[in-house]
Amino acid sequence: MSDLDRQIEQLKKCEPLKESEVKALCLKAMEILVEESNVQRVDAPVTICGDIHGQFYDMKELFKVGGDCPKTNYLFLGDFVDRGFYSVETFLLLLALKVRYPDRITLIRGNHESRQITQVYGFYDECLRKYGSVNVWRYCTDIFDYLSLSALIENKIFSVHGGLSPAISTLDQIRTIDRKQEVPHDGAMCDLLWSDPEDIVDGWGLSPRGAGFLFGGSVVTSFNHTNNIDYICRAHQLVMEGYKWMFNNQIVTVWSAPNYCYRCGNVAAILELDENLNKQFRVFDAAPQESRGTPAKKPAPDYFL
Amino acid sequence: MEVEVDEKDLKSARAELLKDGRRGLRIRGWEIESLKRSILNSSALQQWEQSLQTSHLPEMIFGESCLVLKHVSSGTKIHFNAFDALAGWKQEGLPPVEVPAAAKWKFRSKPLQQVILDYDYTFTTPYCGSEMVELDSDKHGSKEISGGSLGFHWEDCEEKLDVAALTLKEPILFYDEVVLYEDELADNGVSLLTVKVRVMPSSWFLLLRFWLRVDGVLMRLRDTRMHCVFDESANPVILRERCWREGTFQALSAKGYPTDSASYSDPSIISQRLPVIMHQTQKLVVPGNL
Repeated sequence: MSDLDRQIEQLKKCEPLKESEVKALCLKAMEILVEESNVQRVDAPVTICGDIHGQFYDMKELFKVGGDCPKTNYLFLGDFVDRGFYSVETFLLLLALKVRYPDRITLIRGNHESRQITQVYGFYDECLRKYGSVNVWRYCTDIFDYLSLSALIENKIFSVHGGLSPAISTLDQIRTIDRKQEVPHDGAMCDLLWSDPEDIVDGWGLSPRGAGFLFGGSVVTSFNHTNNIDYICRAHQLVMEGYKWMFNNQIVTVWSAPNYCYRCGNVAAILELDENLNKQFRVFDAAPQESRGTPAKKPAPDYFL
Repeated sequence: MEVEVDEKDLKSARAELLKDGRRGLRIRGWEIESLKRSILNSSALQQWEQSLQTSHLPEMIFGESCLVLKHVSSGTKIHFNAFDALAGWKQEGLPPVEVPAAAKWKFRSKPLQQVILDYDYTFTTPYCGSEMVELDSDKHGSKEISGGSLGFHWEDCEEKLDVAALTLKEPILFYDEVVLYEDELADNGVSLLTVKVRVMPSSWFLLLRFWLRVDGVLMRLRDTRMHCVFDESANPVILRERCWREGTFQALSAKGYPTDSASYSDPSIISQRLPVIMHQTQKLVVPGNL
């Protein structure tokens, strides 16, 4: 058994790798990812997955439902880390699978694959806690810069973490972005990872936060028409039912973190496409408590004031 | 999330836990219960949007979760729920808060048609609980009348929360925390409304907390505390303290405090750093002869 296969087996048990192993894995991954396009070509059949957010045991449920990699081809739409308890193991398992089976699994970048966001929402603290230093966080966030920004399945389905950008009307414009950097605060790359579809606007909307685009149905229609695609598949927003179509089936949100943050009670979904691009959503629940390794802790009574 | 409770403590406090999977207890004339459910599904969310006349609601609404404290003999019922809290948000209607990136965005080339949304995406609410009288004697059938319509109201008072009594380590017979709603502000911070309760042999105490952090901009803490010491009088005496704190990251930086968001993940640790902008203590007045 090769080192890599052994590491994959170890990660599947939710055991993190040694710091030196993470460093070596990231170097290998970098060589593969640097060759990928900003609009990575993906062949069908493929199974598309949305946000995971460090919910390792729920991702194992996902693989139970969708089949193991490399038997099943996977496309993950980003947000592997933050919020859940096992961002390290989750991201490293996906990355190890990527290195082992580069043509069988595609990972694209979510807005959480960023230095700034991971320092606030959990991944940084988790690395520090599990390794006693921030080196692993550094190796991982350096790899984030190499992740592709989007994928195109059989030239017909465009996949991205967040959504569209007013600075982008053709896929070729995405191909020209220099992506090897921290996610910027504005511009096309930022929009692809951050923007959301919105029912109440038809064209473009600006979030009340003063930053962040919202796009309506006519924006999606014209993008799909210009680029000759059937629909857009994106993640980024929690959907109680696991997936949600909008604008007359021109865009679908897929969410793959069941019982999000271990308390929302939502189901998750993945989208299976067969070789003819026929769709099947597979909806699944969170992993049962007893398969999570550690039992749920009962909180001590809190003498709050 | 239940906590192991000592049977002996319950017995000597004349309390009994609720049965049939319900969470809560009966003690000294009170029935206290918490309900924790999933977030609203899409169709329920649509109904809420209609009733609240809005197209934007927090992404996680625990719409069927609640905490209810009922004084059985007087019918006085204090409860906490997301719907009333969001009605309060809608009514207050604060102007939106710009995030730091907004400054840069002003220089971006604008798309041809652009609508600027202007609702309060922080879901800041003045909510401090709901009260009503629930009459369920044979004479009345079972019906609920909202507090206000019965002259049921909160009156400013001189008394203060008895912090000394609350710091005594009396056994906690029932403890729970219920999240009412939560929003991640699209990864620009957090907006969270929760209510925590603890019931001891001599009293119950709760904290309803609205916590907002807009990364790099501001923090807002709106706390409502209620304390009720058990006695045998016909109408319960409930003391309520409301305390609002608010501070900008800029002001914290001027005082030499850290300004990274990671230092502000737990409001209970940093609350003292935020200046108080509103404080009041009130007592619930229940008119006689209901």
